[in-house]
Amino acid sequence: MKILVCIKQIPDMASKFKPNAAGSWFSEADLAFRMNEYDEYAVEEAVKLREKDPASELAVLSVGPARVVEALKKALAMGCDRAVHVPDEEAYRKDPWQIASIIAGYAKKGNFDIIFTGMQSQDRGSAQIGPLLAGMLGFSCVTTAIGFSLEGRTATAKRELEGGAKGVVKAALPAVITCQLGLNTPRYPTLPNIMKAKKKEIAVLNAAELSSEAALAGTEKFYAPVKKGTGLVLEGGDAAALAGKLIDVLKEKTTVLRG
Amino acid sequence: MNLELTEEQKLIQSTARDFAEKELAPVAAALDRGEESREKFLANIAKLADLGFMGLNIKSAYGGAEAGSVALSLAITEIARACASTAVTLAVNNLVAEIIQTTGTEEQKKKHLRDICSGAYPAASLALTEPGAGSDSAAVSTLAERDGDGWVLNGSKIFITSAPYAGVFAVFAVTDKAAPKGSGISCFLVEAGTPGLVIGREEHKMGQRASATNEVSFENCRVPGDALLGALNKGFSSAAEGLAGGRINIGSLGLGIGLAAIDYATAYAADRKQFGRSISEFQAVQWMIAESYTELEAGRMLLMNAAARREAGKPHTKEAAMCKMYATEAANRACYNAVQLLGGYGYTDQFPVERYARDARVTSIYEGTNEVQRFIVAREILKSL
Ligand SMILES: Cc1cc2nc3c(=O)[nH]c(=O)nc-3n(C[C@H](O)[C@H](O)[C@H](O)COP(=O)(O)OP(=O)(O)OC[C@H]3O[C@@H](n4cnc5c(N)ncnc54)[C@H](O)[C@@H]3O)c2cc1C
Repeated sequence: MKILVCIKQIPDMASKFKPNAAGSWFSEADLAFRMNEYDEYAVEEAVKLREKDPASELAVLSVGPARVVEALKKALAMGCDRAVHVPDEEAYRKDPWQIASIIAGYAKKGNFDIIFTGMQSQDRGSAQIGPLLAGMLGFSCVTTAIGFSLEGRTATAKRELEGGAKGVVKAALPAVITCQLGLNTPRYPTLPNIMKAKKKEIAVLNAAELSSEAALAGTEKFYAPVKKGTGLVLEGGDAAALAGKLIDVLKEKTTVLRG
Repeated sequence: MNLELTEEQKLIQSTARDFAEKELAPVAAALDRGEESREKFLANIAKLADLGFMGLNIKSAYGGAEAGSVALSLAITEIARACASTAVTLAVNNLVAEIIQTTGTEEQKKKHLRDICSGAYPAASLALTEPGAGSDSAAVSTLAERDGDGWVLNGSKIFITSAPYAGVFAVFAVTDKAAPKGSGISCFLVEAGTPGLVIGREEHKMGQRASATNEVSFENCRVPGDALLGALNKGFSSAAEGLAGGRINIGSLGLGIGLAAIDYATAYAADRKQFGRSISEFQAVQWMIAESYTELEAGRMLLMNAAARREAGKPHTKEAAMCKMYATEAANRACYNAVQLLGGYGYTDQFPVERYARDARVTSIYEGTNEVQRFIVAREILKSL
């Protein structure tokens, strides 16, 4: 089994965002970066699968500036076997089509059976990389997985649907699975594994050699919304109904009520 | 000159921060008030051991992470931001482990380091201070007398961190009564449960209340010959290297508390309105914020310098004393400012800054009072003239 997990590094979402000089994206100065939350679920799921089958191999890939090496090292420390870095100091200028094309350029030579990605990135939030990648590679695709298992060459995934409903789908490998909050609890990398990950391979590949696709959509302008309170007020109905709604919100949007 | 952390150091820092935010911060106040159990406290310590935080600077052959002194300092700071009691436990465990690593025999390392690193020992204790030997630690009077091929210990220790749940104690005792002061002292590894090792009463403290601090006494406590750690009668000088590391640990711990306090108070000040505007618009408030962050940043630089020197194997006695003294005092001032910035609310337990202020207070006292640090710094400077 060959497994690939694709990750992105995103700014700490509690930061204060300012537009960059061109006004087309946010300025990275003064921001602290970390692994995209949904990608942590993807790494965890991939590592769990990797651990079940000692003969399998798990690679982690990221397209982005030099700083993403830290996120790659975290994924290695969590249990990925090797990493692929496609350096691009201005990756934010690329649209999802271009990023997916670069990943596909790498993945089509890799004979992967399964590819995990986050459901979306916390900063751009396009949620397109997984489905585009599946299309380009001719893989089956399951989005927003909150449960995952594999039997032979068939993946079974629980999916989150609109309005809180859940569905179960089966997909034949090779497949792309995009991961949603609730799928798992990502492990902390242990300190010995962080140190041992220094010895794992990080291959550096050239973006231009993987894909020369032009952008299909451009980002014109970035603006930060005015700060407002983060509260949510539940109204209407009797106390029991409101309590039910509150429980649903807590289950859907937070981890407090997950086992 | 390179002031950048390595990627591994950044990852250890962010792992410690994530763990502290998710696992420690939610229970720290309740642990402080005794509303959460000691089991909960020790469960978090065990999780930290699983992640490799108890042997941060210990060789991997003995179960450690081999991550270095800089990473240890960063980790303690991040843990202390959320829970100082957890941070001091971690600091002392690492201190005892490092002393065993530098002075222990192969058997002692195999036996005790693995158990400290893995969490098989819930904690490790350093038993130096006595009622009659605080700052004047060379005045210890606990006696270790030869008995066949072993030793018999008698005497009492006070203020021993983690004593009720420590798996092993590094105990300093006099082995040569005739020797000049400070030179007839040896260190022994006494295992929990050894007959004659008595864990006495637990202190009711001003802060860091989740961490136990106890009297410990030795009543004809017999230990085998191989319990001797390091050279006979050289216990003090051989532990000195480890104790310098202990000072960096406590400076790092102070820094974490100070940052937690001023971060909280600054956010509060930005929000709080009086006289029709945010109090952060008043210059008096801005100066408190500016001074605290500047001092804590200076403390951080002193810590990083001392830790980097230690990691590189360079002399660092002076630097360790300097950073311990400066960072813990900067932290105490930051906590003072933080309570001030919250006004009356800061004085209540509805807000965390009163806990930070109480937790920070002891950092200028233990691991050598800051007066002691000052004479170490002066001694190191004057001896080079
Ligand atoms: C919470 C807590 C945890 C502790 N954990 C441990 C532990 O795990 N293991 C351990 O061995 N010890 C531990 N200690 C003990 C701690 O290290 C001592 O309390 C400390 O070294 C000071 O000793 P003392 O309390 O006897 O004070 P004293 O030495 O009596 O000092 C009183 C005051 O006199 C000042 N003073 C003393 N001598 C001089 C001098 N020559 N010049 C100028 N000023 C001087 C001191 O700086 C201080 O201000 C702990 C203490 C506390 C409170």
